[in-house]
Amino acid sequence: MSNNNLSVISLVSIGEHPTSRRPRRAEQDARAIELGIKLVGDNLQTLHAGELSDDDSQQTALRSYLGMGLAEINLLEMPENSDAVLVIAEHLKQKKPDIILTGVRAENGESSGMLPYLLAEQLGMAMVTSIAEILSVDEVNKQAEVLQALPRGQRRKLKVDLPFIASVDMAAALPRQSAFGPARRGQFEEILGTSFTDQESSEWQTADAKKRPKRLKIIKAKTAADRFKAATAKASGGGGKVVHGVEESAQAILDLLVEEGLV
Amino acid sequence: MSELFRRDPRAQWIARNRLHPMHQALVIGPVFGPSGLLRKNLHIIGFIGPNGLKRIDRSGASNDSEQGSRRSATASEVILPLHQVVEPAFYIVVVLDLVSGRLNGHDKDTLGLAQQLANRNNGGGAVVAIAFGELKDDSLNKAGVDRLIHINDEQYAHYNPEQRCNDLQGIIGELEPQHILLPDSINGGGDLGRRLAAALQQRPACGVWKLNDDTVICRGSAGKRDITRPLSKLLLVMEECSEPISETRHENILMSQASSPLANGKLFDQGNISVDPNAIPLAEAGFILSGGNGINDWEQFHHTASVLGATEGASRVAVDDGNMPRERQVGATGTWVTAQVYIAVGISGAIQHMQGIGQCDKVVAINTDEGCDMVKRADISAIGDSTEILARLVELVEQRKQAKQTNNEGDDK
Amino acid sequence: MSSSEFLSQFLFTLISFALLLMLVGAVKRMLLWSQGQSSTIHWLGLLQIPRRYLVDLHHVVARDKYMSNTHVATAGGFVLSSILIVLLYVFQLKLQILTWALLGSSLLMFVGSIFVMIRRRNPPPNLSLGQWQRLPKSLMVFSLSFFILTLPATGILPSDTGGWLLALLLVAGIIWGIGEMFCGMTWGGPMKHAFAGALHLGLHRRQERFGGGQSTGLKAIDLSSKKLGVEKPIDFKWNQLLSFDACVECGRCENNCPAFAAGQPLNPKKLIQDMVIGMAGGDDAKFAGSPYPGIKVGTHKGGAIIPIVNVLVESDTLWSCTTCRACVDACPMMIEHVDAIVDMRRFETMEKGQTPGKGSEILENLSATDNPNGFAPSTRMNWAADQNLTVFGHNEKKQEVTQADVLLWVGDAAFDMRNQRTLRAMIKLLRAAKVNFAVLGDAECDSGDLARRLGDEATFQRLANSNISTMNKYKFNTIVTADPHAFHCIKNEYGEFGGNYNVMHHTGFFAELVSQQKIKLDNSKELALTYHDPCYLGRYNGEYDAPRFLLESMGVKIKEMDRSKSTARCCGGGGGAPVTDIPGKQRIPDMRMADVIETKAEIVAVACPGCSAMLEGVVEPRPEVKDIAELMLDALIEGVVEDTAEVVVEDMVGGAV
Ligand code: SF4
Ligand code: SF4
Repeated sequence: MSNNNLSVISLVSIGEHPTSRRPRRAEQDARAIELGIKLVGDNLQTLHAGELSDDDSQQTALRSYLGMGLAEINLLEMPENSDAVLVIAEHLKQKKPDIILTGVRAENGESSGMLPYLLAEQLGMAMVTSIAEILSVDEVNKQAEVLQALPRGQRRKLKVDLPFIASVDMAAALPRQSAFGPARRGQFEEILGTSFTDQESSEWQTADAKKRPKRLKIIKAKTAADRFKAATAKASGGGGKVVHGVEESAQAILDLLVEEGLV
Repeated sequence: MSELFRRDPRAQWIARNRLHPMHQALVIGPVFGPSGLLRKNLHIIGFIGPNGLKRIDRSGASNDSEQGSRRSATASEVILPLHQVVEPAFYIVVVLDLVSGRLNGHDKDTLGLAQQLANRNNGGGAVVAIAFGELKDDSLNKAGVDRLIHINDEQYAHYNPEQRCNDLQGIIGELEPQHILLPDSINGGGDLGRRLAAALQQRPACGVWKLNDDTVICRGSAGKRDITRPLSKLLLVMEECSEPISETRHENILMSQASSPLANGKLFDQGNISVDPNAIPLAEAGFILSGGNGINDWEQFHHTASVLGATEGASRVAVDDGNMPRERQVGATGTWVTAQVYIAVGISGAIQHMQGIGQCDKVVAINTDEGCDMVKRADISAIGDSTEILARLVELVEQRKQAKQTNNEGDDK
Repeated sequence: MSSSEFLSQFLFTLISFALLLMLVGAVKRMLLWSQGQSSTIHWLGLLQIPRRYLVDLHHVVARDKYMSNTHVATAGGFVLSSILIVLLYVFQLKLQILTWALLGSSLLMFVGSIFVMIRRRNPPPNLSLGQWQRLPKSLMVFSLSFFILTLPATGILPSDTGGWLLALLLVAGIIWGIGEMFCGMTWGGPMKHAFAGALHLGLHRRQERFGGGQSTGLKAIDLSSKKLGVEKPIDFKWNQLLSFDACVECGRCENNCPAFAAGQPLNPKKLIQDMVIGMAGGDDAKFAGSPYPGIKVGTHKGGAIIPIVNVLVESDTLWSCTTCRACVDACPMMIEHVDAIVDMRRFETMEKGQTPGKGSEILENLSATDNPNGFAPSTRMNWAADQNLTVFGHNEKKQEVTQADVLLWVGDAAFDMRNQRTLRAMIKLLRAAKVNFAVLGDAECDSGDLARRLGDEATFQRLANSNISTMNKYKFNTIVTADPHAFHCIKNEYGEFGGNYNVMHHTGFFAELVSQQKIKLDNSKELALTYHDPCYLGRYNGEYDAPRFLLESMGVKIKEMDRSKSTARCCGGGGGAPVTDIPGKQRIPDMRMADVIETKAEIVAVACPGCSAMLEGVVEPRPEVKDIAELMLDALIEGVVEDTAEVVVEDMVGGAV
């Protein structure tokens, strides 16, 4: 690794599986670690805000980051429902990392995706969202080149000044498998964080996500005929057009592609 | 302009009422009796000649056109009522995504929600839309924009969230809006909104999908939970958080705003990089050409994909047979895809495969077997020899590209 | 001094010296084995070596009649001759009867060696060449030399026949013969198999396999140990190292290995030989058998403390295995290939996190959702929404069910639309037979079979423990399942974690019901049908008869495939092979389907959800794939029990009170 002097910290949280709701390694955080390991190898530091839970499954989830080959995870102890941002910012101010990697948003709680932005603001660092890759880090000019993930597999190249915070998108390289042995042997290093409480969110109510009704295709009918048409139109997908013959087929497909703006 | 068929109730009533003096003039075309039988109205055949006698013209020259019971829709483009806010009591700011200079659905929904906020509790608020960069859309007035701030110069053609955030801070300082709304999207809104929140030290409500009086419901836990919380100043809203505006026109008055240049930007856009369609992970790809065991000529398949600029996919059998690498396999046992257009060539559609393409928007099947499951699912099915159809498709696309090129050259001259 | 006197004196020295050399070699070899990890030493097994050799080993060898007779003659002759030679020439017991016996035994051995020679004239590809081509010559020289040497002593020929010339020739022959047969035994020649093989038979890690028993469950490892799985040769148990040395390179494993036949880079014989190379150090250049398909011989080397994977053996080799046990079953030396492969996989998965293909995704799903495909655990029973099943624990009617005759183990087929058909058929059959059964519902987890074969012992143990603690809450007599993998796991592998149950595969259970007349099957249909033995039912659990009995009760005359019962070819679905998906020249299920087509059957009956998925994945047109439960349902004569559903439901509720 040529980036030996770079100080990179990845922030990890405990994720939650979308269907079973069990704790797990968060998918984006794991990708952030993967990116970090590729960048600086063993020099990657990992920080988790919160203490080691007594709950087995929570612990296993946190350990699964260790299973990716980390020697240790630093635990920033803080009382429950305190504001993680302030605690982490306080801690990171002393560490002065060059690059901080996080996921785009957490898998549980508010999952507002604000954390990296707030940290960037607090620490006066640049912030890049949804990166897929760090292409290069130029330690002399204090600049890095990153690829930002855009919808549909597109990528944008950005130059960003060091130090910076980057949130890592799902489009980044898949995280390596977490292995049981290293996960069991990895260490937790506990640091006491300062405490700032988060009053506001305790007043919110949360419930399981409701299925949102699918919006009907509203053809804002200016005429009764339109309304009628909209109401009776065949639901899309229910059996399509069938064309025979080479010429007709090719033309029909081309028309569709043109309509969808693909050619 | 649509050639809409508009009903004219009065004319229809006259047509039904045989005693109406204008009846004869209006009834043309087939008339069905109460029993459903076709009735010929002998009275209306022909016309009264100059000497007062009835004449029947068999030349067809003077056939009545079917204008009677129709009014052309062209004539009656509906003018929507104008919603005016003369003296705004307060402002609601909406920052638009404007993907390639146009409003998209998400923008419109956001404006819809903004109008709800501007008009609740006796209303009086004005929705100020903020547009960065090029603005090609002329339908802003119909989407609920009362006021427009348009900031545009060369740098806004690029990704410059820091500058935009800086501009927004200035605007917000001036207008002191009641609420600021951004689409919580990956097209810039989500990023910009969070930057703004951090800069303003405002806790935003993210993933808002419903407004209920003074509370909003947000999607939390990465979509698994609903959080009901008080309405906050900064709202990052989801698609379909509100109906878009459709029944009013708005003033869309341009407000002037100088952009204050930012000195210490830390992000520099180097432009989009061209992505080889086949380097796009299948799950993300927007346009997939997928091959199955009905393909005889794989060379041609690859060629077609590259001409169309499509990402290549494959059925399990094609992968098993070694024609395609494993990571290209689409289906429940391979990758679940979400393409906008999915072309399945020679894939009959095993259940696992159909599961995997469940999320695709438009499916095209090219197959010899009209009865296969893929054809049942597809929006367009081309029945025939895939080699020939693909060959012809490639030709057509290439012709089109050439035509475009010559056109462009023509423009340049 | 006459030539005969010289010979007898010389032989004393020579043989004593050879024996000494052999002893030194033996000690050296034992030191090699002792590098391995400790494991129980079954001393008593040593006493049983002759019995195991004559019964168990020959039971396997006898599948090839030619080789079996040849081996009896050669090995029998050799063992007898050796004893006599020692008695005659070392202990100098000059008894006439011994001399005659030696004459006979060496003749026997000579005859045997001729057959070995014939076999080796045009050796099939599964046999190794190289030093193994020398062996028949050595055998001949050894037996012939001693035969001729003994002739004068019996008085058939006058002593000193041939004079010095013959004596010299004999000396040369005997040195060659003894060098190969005695010293080679412990110094690494082809005869090593006799020495290591005998000890291996005695000290085998699975003593239960002898005397007709079975031991097929993988062995658990301690998850808190320093290293999980096998990284280097010395991480194997010492008796595993010993077992590798027992290989005779007969290639029977290679002949039966589906992965090898499919052109995947695995050859069980080479794998075992590579383990020997690893243990003793060196490279594989001298290996004279078939290579791993697609990998050149002579490109890998190893040593006792050098990591195996990707140095000595490519990881793809390990991950090609379907754990079908065809190799183990065919191996006359009773070597446990699957154990070795899984041991190495364990290190790859649990220490290196390098499960290939979709492995890592599947393992992550298993730990997050208890099923390999990541479906919500709460949807496990969705398939049975219309089945009105009795579920153990609290049900909707607020009744607590804690007891039933039969626990129906659903397995992951619950999430698979194809195999739900089988499950539905099973339920109808159980109801038709008025069986009082219940299911675990959402509390059931994957049996852990897949995780374990992919080397993730940790996930396996978690799943096993969770299933055991769920099942221990309820009372039932029998577990019945349609999934041979779950069947095997619960029956043979849960025991180590305190779960001991009476488990039956649905074919076994239904066979009982049919023979008790509780299910009546119509036997008038004529079906052109063949039956595919699932590895985990057949080779793993020895159940070949129940499915055939059921099919025959339906009036079917099974068109057996050439490879059926214990030599049945795997469908390619076991051991996580579809997950790791190592490319080969062809696909295993296609080969199996070709076997089916050869019988001209129109239906292939299966008894495993994995087999049905793999075989149905073969491109049509092909014979239809049907589970035996589905076939039974087609042939079920209803009305034997009328209005089954209600009756049974009530019964069950009654049973619960
Ligand atoms: S278990 Fe089966 S696949 Fe694995 S090596 Fe043995 S024969 Fe081959
Ligand atoms: S492992 Fe067994 S079957 Fe295979 S070659 Fe060696 S002795 Fe023969």
